[in-house]
Amino acid sequence: MASSTWRQSLFAPARAPLWSALFAILCALTICFIAILATGKDAVNGYADLLQGALGGARPLGESALKGSVLVLTGLSVTVAFTVGLFNIGAEGQFIWGALAAAVVGNALPLPAFLAIPAALGAAALAGGLWALIPAWLKTARGVHEVISTILLNWVAIDLVNGWLVSGPLSVATGSADVSVAGTAAIRDEAFLPRLFAQSGSRLDLGLPIALAIAALVWLFLTRTRRGFEWRCVGAGPDAARAQGIPNARCIAEAMFLSGALAGVAGALIILGTEHRYPGVFRTGYGFDGIAVALVGGVTAPGAVLAGFFFGALRAGSTRLQLVGIHPSFAELIQGLAVLLVAAPRIFAPLLARLRGRASVSATAGVGASSEVGGAT
Amino acid sequence: MTAARNCFAYQLLALKRSLVLSLAACLSVAGCKKPLPPHTIGIALDVGGRGDQSFNDGALRGLEAMAAGVRSTAHGYETLSDAEFQALLPADMMPVSHLPIPSPLVLSGKAQEDYEPNLQLLIDQGVELTIAVGFMMEPAVRAVSARNEKAKFLLLDSPVLDAAGKKPVTRANVRAVTFREQEGSFLAGALAGELTKSGKIGFVGGMQLPLILKFEAGFRAGVRAVNPAAEKNMLVAYTGTFDDEKKGVEVGGDLYARGCDIVFHAAGLDGLGVIKAAERANKLVIGVDSDQSKVAPRNVLTSMVKHVDIAVYQAVADELEGRFTGGDQSLGLKESGVGLAPIGGDVIPAINNEAKAGAIADVEKLRTAIVDGHIIVPGTIAELARFTALQPETFGLNNVPGEIAAVPAPLPAGATSPKPTAAPAKK
Repeated sequence: MASSTWRQSLFAPARAPLWSALFAILCALTICFIAILATGKDAVNGYADLLQGALGGARPLGESALKGSVLVLTGLSVTVAFTVGLFNIGAEGQFIWGALAAAVVGNALPLPAFLAIPAALGAAALAGGLWALIPAWLKTARGVHEVISTILLNWVAIDLVNGWLVSGPLSVATGSADVSVAGTAAIRDEAFLPRLFAQSGSRLDLGLPIALAIAALVWLFLTRTRRGFEWRCVGAGPDAARAQGIPNARCIAEAMFLSGALAGVAGALIILGTEHRYPGVFRTGYGFDGIAVALVGGVTAPGAVLAGFFFGALRAGSTRLQLVGIHPSFAELIQGLAVLLVAAPRIFAPLLARLRGRASVSATAGVGASSEVGGAT
Repeated sequence: MTAARNCFAYQLLALKRSLVLSLAACLSVAGCKKPLPPHTIGIALDVGGRGDQSFNDGALRGLEAMAAGVRSTAHGYETLSDAEFQALLPADMMPVSHLPIPSPLVLSGKAQEDYEPNLQLLIDQGVELTIAVGFMMEPAVRAVSARNEKAKFLLLDSPVLDAAGKKPVTRANVRAVTFREQEGSFLAGALAGELTKSGKIGFVGGMQLPLILKFEAGFRAGVRAVNPAAEKNMLVAYTGTFDDEKKGVEVGGDLYARGCDIVFHAAGLDGLGVIKAAERANKLVIGVDSDQSKVAPRNVLTSMVKHVDIAVYQAVADELEGRFTGGDQSLGLKESGVGLAPIGGDVIPAINNEAKAGAIADVEKLRTAIVDGHIIVPGTIAELARFTALQPETFGLNNVPGEIAAVPAPLPAGATSPKPTAAPAKK
């Protein structure tokens, strides 16, 4: 219990999550703006370019939504794990397995499109979900802290998939010395996600409606079903939940499976949408960014949708920063700062409250955090 | 100092108004295209990015230093002085002057799925020629060049492929330059084969792709040509990546620990790790793509230079003179597309200047033999299996260890394929 207090205070939905997130993002944008000015670059045009790269026309909008859809799903992945009180840092590894499963199934099964796409997405969900069951099992059976196990399993996944499977047994073989293709064999045309506005040059595909539909379902499930309520009970107070007859281990396993499945589907969207094979170099960080999306989104499904599209737009726009000589990693700075500013008040709030002598209301930080969770449900 | 502060304050003051203005201008979509100066060239880098001391840096050198005569600094581009410009030219390139083009637009793309929007962005900005660095850009070039028939592209290291991604095709608006890396690697192999003291030579590849197998095949053929015994002992390992320096340190360190005294790497950014491993082991390493002697002057014996820079420079020059054409180009020793960088490295005392001079003379003879078509260097492992050692007297080689003269009986195909000799040093 004690070890999870900081996590609960970190993840507890703020009382006004939308406003606190917006405020954090605004502060992050301002700090980054000053940082760019301080390096002697043209921050005004940089931000204008960032905005145009994210929203200025069909193509940029498409790129933002494309990346946003993926981030919505990885953000949901982290959000779902947190409902049972687990901090899933392993979305990256689950994302990678999902991407690989989609590439393999999309290549192997000769199906018409209306079956090929669900099959590939299903395989990705299964692969990501199974990978996430490992830390769930380690947690419930052996008491291994999921932060440690999921971080480590990320590297196991990266090395197994990128370092061995994709460059070894699953790598595509080409005949001539002049044709080099890195990665797995291409998926079948039927498994390509259809582009929604192809004639406008936008790469936006079916991934957007898929991600939105999944987000809606996850939200309904977590807030409107009995099982969703049980998960939240386990997250808010495992001992109390157990006392009420809610099986903790089963809820943790189910939630981690769903969490991994969401990250896996996110991986599949990239493969089926734009890459059409598992590429030889694939280190995109969407899984890690899912943590940022979940935190800034207040660990709620609607919050993950908003934050996911915001960070997607940031990613899409960041390329254009280079046009005015600004390093694109300044966009990552905005993201990092936003997370820090969202998380920092929650980490320090109990401390500040105690310093101000208001601690008498809630005797310990733990109780304070639990009551916050309880108040939000 | 004051000026800087004034400037800062001014920018802050001007901020609100200009922010509102530029946002308004931008959101009215059409209004935001800042016109580029004429003849601007755009370049899109792959995952290695700026600073890989290898392929991407080679392409950037060709465009920034050689073609535009500028240097990239933290504060933007600086114009190079004449002396600096001449010093940057590769040793085996004719003296040239830089071209009348403005500073280029450089986009780096960390993620594979960004390549296509990056290329499209350069075209939308109105660049005259778009350079795509690396074979991983091929699908993006294929898609974007089909959509923008008027835009011109230079694709490095790969031909454009057909829709299925299998067969090379030519596009009227894409010049695709590939290199015969096996020829330069052959010379590197011959040099290593003549100079090795431990009789053990290593090769570290990145991903095991046909492109990298060209390096391996050529290198092993070069070693076999002058020192078949060393080729049989050779250790070959692949890191499986191009962007992981740590893997290069591990794999390279492993080969040195197993007794290699010279290791050739063709592993992109991983190769910088191999060079680090050479420094730790106090052994020699052969660099790749660019002259990597600056990374570790005492350890880098030479580098198998791939003149991406010259290919880029040539394409820009052709474009300015209206001679730019699409189609495939293959650059080898004959076209000065590949070659060896100046010989260096002094960590192994027995490999002294005298030994090097003899080996260099032999390598020069082999170079001539390849240029004249007397030696066809294998570019695949299958071709390598059919490649036999040389009779030293054929090309007048003088530095070949004595016992070899008897060996060059034709070997049965496949018999000399000690392929994965070194277990890849992956955990």
